[in-house]
Amino acid sequence: MTLRTLAALALTALSLTATAQTAPSAEKQRMIDLGIEHGTARALYDHFKQEARGGQALTWRTVPDWTGIWTREASPLFWDPDQTSPTALPTAKLTPEHQRLLKDKLDKVAKGIEFDPLSNCEPAGMPRWLVEPFLKEFIVTPQQVYLVNEMQNEMRRVYTDGRDHPSAADAYPLWEGDSIGFWNGDKLIIHTSQMRAGQYQRIQPFYTEQVETVEIWQKTDPTTMVVDVWSFDPPALAEPWYTRQVYKQLSNDDKTLRIRYWNCGENQNNTVEKTATGTSDFSNFTFTQEDDK
Amino acid sequence: MTRVLSGVLGLAAMLAAPAFAHHSAVMFDDQKEVTVTGTVKEFQYTNPHSWLLVDVKDDKGNVTTWGFEAEGPSTLTRAGIRRSDFAPGTAITITGNPMKDGRPAAAWVRATRGDGKQFDPRAGFAIK
Repeated sequence: MTLRTLAALALTALSLTATAQTAPSAEKQRMIDLGIEHGTARALYDHFKQEARGGQALTWRTVPDWTGIWTREASPLFWDPDQTSPTALPTAKLTPEHQRLLKDKLDKVAKGIEFDPLSNCEPAGMPRWLVEPFLKEFIVTPQQVYLVNEMQNEMRRVYTDGRDHPSAADAYPLWEGDSIGFWNGDKLIIHTSQMRAGQYQRIQPFYTEQVETVEIWQKTDPTTMVVDVWSFDPPALAEPWYTRQVYKQLSNDDKTLRIRYWNCGENQNNTVEKTATGTSDFSNFTFTQEDDK
Repeated sequence: MTRVLSGVLGLAAMLAAPAFAHHSAVMFDDQKEVTVTGTVKEFQYTNPHSWLLVDVKDDKGNVTTWGFEAEGPSTLTRAGIRRSDFAPGTAITITGNPMKDGRPAAAWVRATRGDGKQFDPRAGFAIK
């Protein structure tokens, strides 16, 4: 089933909002309320830091073992793993303007009009980074954490050495944003700001340059990484969007799985163009006899 | 040899279906399948997508090269598909969702090599 069919189903759900979403669990509601109570990403981050009494510095002797190759557990189609059905809408509470933008996008996709900026070899960027499929690595050092996504060689740097974000006057939009964090026991708490506008996924809502996130990362068992995420984005979200992302460590006993550098343009057959109607199509293939367009 | 079948994927199959790495799959017709039998011309084991090129001979002896797109090397590795599995000249029967515009290309769904071994590139998304 293509995204076109999914979008049509989602549009149906848009007209049947009473059946579009199921009520969140009590635990999820508590996390949603936490975001609402604090109002901004910075306030929520500061709340967690206060709870942790400023956090604890790591040493090389105390860094947790987050090694291995990981991938997201849930369907790559949806930002919120709780949205498991294409007939449900995203669980975000959108502003009227962003409800309209999402409906416009789903309308187009249902008509077969779809173009992902990733086709231009752009990175997914944060916060979309969190739900991109393929392989991930999480590298912990005492003063920085590197969060690596295989796709487009995207690496987030999380500074845990006590520094703050650049001043607002010096801030500018970044693909992965600017991330600072601290440790509270085995939990890594991250605040990310300075992100570029984008989309949570292809049939998911858009976010603006005002988006900021708070994440709590915790390895809950040897093969499971749980990440609680709050997105704050007043132009797009009527209230903070809380989700729980889960990554699973892949078995790799023969050490075959490795993260490689990508050059998105290395094979002409992967060149995808935006057509005059705004949809996606391959450019000329190398394996056909002549100009095949 | 080329044949085209129509079919509708179920919801469960949809939820398990891969997201294409860096582009929409709108150019493919997922309501149809095309199956060809031929020999491997080249296995382009590249990111963000791999392409398996297959030479297919018609009844008059004319050869058309078909391209079958799959995910990149790491996902294929997870599906147990190595670059060395498809050396040039390897006999193969391969099925995919064809391009809507009629060009000889498809999204690779499954394949059977001449020795009978089967390959499912989408199995690379399974978590194990």
